Amino acid sequence: MSETLTLLASFFPPDLKPSYLAALVPAFLETLGLVFGAMTLATLFSLPLALAVSMRIRGAGLLIHGLSVFRAVPDLTLAILCVIAFGLGPGAGLVALVLYYTAAMSKVFADLLETAPRGPVEALAATGASRLQVALYGLLPLTRADLFNYGAFAFECALRSSVIVGAVGGGGIGTELVGSLAGFDFQRATTQILMLVLLIAALDRLADWARNHPRALVGLIPFGLMAAWWCRPEFFALGHAFHVLGDMLPPSLPTDALQDLPRLVLETLWMAVAGTLGAAIIGLIAGLGASRRVSPAWLVFLTRRILELLRTIPEVVWGLVIVAVAGIGPVAGAWALGLHTFGTFGRLFADTLDHVPEAPGRAIASTGASRLMVGLYAVLPQSLKPVATHFLFRLEWNLRMATVLGLIGAGGIGQALYEAQQLFFYRQVMAYILVTAVLILAFDRLSRSLRARLNRTGGAAVSTGCLPSPAAAL
Amino acid sequence: MTHTPDMSERDGAAGADAPLLCLEDVSVAPSDAADPVLSRVSLEVRAGECIALVGASGAGKTTLLRTIGTLLPVRAGRLTVAGQEPSALSEADLRALRTRIGLITQSHDLVDSLRVDKNVMAGALGRWTNVHALRFLLWSKDEELAEARAALEAVGIADKLMNRTSALSGGERQRVSIARALIQAPALLLADEPVASLDPETAEDVLALLTSLARARGMALITSLHQPELAERFCDRIVEVAGGTVTERPRLVTAGQSA
Ligand SMILES: Nc1ncnc2c1ncn2[C@@H]1O[C@H](COP(=O)(O)OP(=O)(O)OP(=O)(O)O)[C@@H](O)[C@H]1O
Ligand SMILES: [Mg+2]
Repeated sequence: MSETLTLLASFFPPDLKPSYLAALVPAFLETLGLVFGAMTLATLFSLPLALAVSMRIRGAGLLIHGLSVFRAVPDLTLAILCVIAFGLGPGAGLVALVLYYTAAMSKVFADLLETAPRGPVEALAATGASRLQVALYGLLPLTRADLFNYGAFAFECALRSSVIVGAVGGGGIGTELVGSLAGFDFQRATTQILMLVLLIAALDRLADWARNHPRALVGLIPFGLMAAWWCRPEFFALGHAFHVLGDMLPPSLPTDALQDLPRLVLETLWMAVAGTLGAAIIGLIAGLGASRRVSPAWLVFLTRRILELLRTIPEVVWGLVIVAVAGIGPVAGAWALGLHTFGTFGRLFADTLDHVPEAPGRAIASTGASRLMVGLYAVLPQSLKPVATHFLFRLEWNLRMATVLGLIGAGGIGQALYEAQQLFFYRQVMAYILVTAVLILAFDRLSRSLRARLNRTGGAAVSTGCLPSPAAAL
Repeated sequence: MTHTPDMSERDGAAGADAPLLCLEDVSVAPSDAADPVLSRVSLEVRAGECIALVGASGAGKTTLLRTIGTLLPVRAGRLTVAGQEPSALSEADLRALRTRIGLITQSHDLVDSLRVDKNVMAGALGRWTNVHALRFLLWSKDEELAEARAALEAVGIADKLMNRTSALSGGERQRVSIARALIQAPALLLADEPVASLDPETAEDVLALLTSLARARGMALITSLHQPELAERFCDRIVEVAGGTVTERPRLVTAGQSA
């Protein structure tokens, strides 16, 4: 125990020498450029595709359906595949992010466009407007806020993943972080994490500003394209890519690996369930502390800042740190998922408590019930459903992350995949990717039917002002 | 305004005498899945006529107006607008026909996140190319803004041209919706309960505005109304929607002075 504390203490104080900070700038620019370039391309591909679906252009829906193959494989697993096809460097990360987020965003954008109110859309059609004009003057502006929120959310997710693109491919802040941790240079690792937290917070502010200045985003497109060009793959030989793909087929596993497969799958599942469940239990307690209705202002402020810090640090960064401190294995993975998820749950649960309709509680209080009774009979029953929904969405998400954390030594199927790639066992790589995809798709289906059952049981749905459903699509 | 039922018009042809709108034994349904709510509807409307649709709630007035606006298909019978049968048209021809029909819905159906000038000029989309439509979203030319301003002037709110649509009052939204229809320069203007939720005085203002615009610009106007006395005062003909069909009701008094 005291050993762990000493180890943790060695992360402080962070190295804040100006010379070191300046030395970090190129790495940050590289990561930012990668994400910016990839997300510009992904948006330029996915938005027209989604519009084409909403305009009922034949083939577009099929295309989105076909792209969903890429959504079943986590973005970083896809990055490994791209490293094999395009070699080391940011190019592999770029291709992986573009593929993954084009698939994810085109699906969600198309769904969001469908939610546009019918009245204004029909009124436009009634003036004789073409389908494209109806999309430009109706569908897009009507759903603009939702499209934007989801886009900003996807950008943040891409930024988090790209942090360890360095760990599997090369370049950027990930490489720096892995280097610092491997060299026991923990104070510098703290510096890098702090800078990452600041960067994510700054982007959040920027998104708030851009929300009200949508035209400024159009002006960003050329810069995004430049960034993408800068990160382009070193070589793009279709022949080579196909050749590599050929090497991966048919997927196969040797007997001993096949016998080990159930253990790997269980390990990954355990990581996701343990991390999510643990985070949910302490998240409920922290949610009470962060709820404006329940707790005094100072406690709310303090709890919210702590939760913010926990969830701003990506799972993979927690993973790198914990693996460095406590060694490799699924327990480290569960902790990494748990810490980040705790930050998310605490906030979501608090928001749920704060947004539950007040009237039933007041009615119960007027019968002379105590505060605790009001909580038990009004607030809790009304919060259960949204809390359960958040839990399921997060579990889906964490299962994806659990396979990704394996890549950095947290065990399970992800680690097996990474090791096979390091040894150039491409058919094994493909086999593990397929198993991952099947696992994720099966779990998504299970979770979807559970959520549908939740929604069928009575009780008012409570809007928590966040975006649980698109989150699951990533 | 003469509306004597003279039988001398040539069938179908869009000659000077031919009706602008012609329904022959038409059945209409509110959606693809639903049963028809009106059947054997026959009605002829000539250019410049002003017609009130009256009838109880749920009688089918909205459904009839949406069918005439080519938003719903006819189930049976024949509907022609300006001599053309919407169901027989290609997509491009249907769009061209729709530019000649202005539809003002009860919910106004504006796009809140676009500014007022964009909402008004949406009425021009039918005659614009896609490239033109995209360009206008990004920057607007003076003559386009002048056109939008003129339409808003006709409905009395020219000063709202550059306002945020979400910040308009209910009455202003309705006027923007009327301005959007005016930009189309339609031959036929359809207004679904334009005065449903207005106080009596404003209701008269709006009806006076609609009917005078229709007369000044030679548009035929079909409007559904809940107040028979307003129908008597402002319209040339009154058509009652009831019992699953429509019947023309004789006017109690002669039409107000027609200009
Ligand atoms: N989408 C729909 N699907 C099935 N039935 C519908 C639909 N919309 C309307 N109806 C039904 O069709 C009938 C006619 O509706 P409509 O809206 O045309 O009436 P209305 O005369 O405009 O009534 P109001 O004066 O209340 O506006 C009603 O009985 C209504 O319930
Ligand atoms: Mg109606």
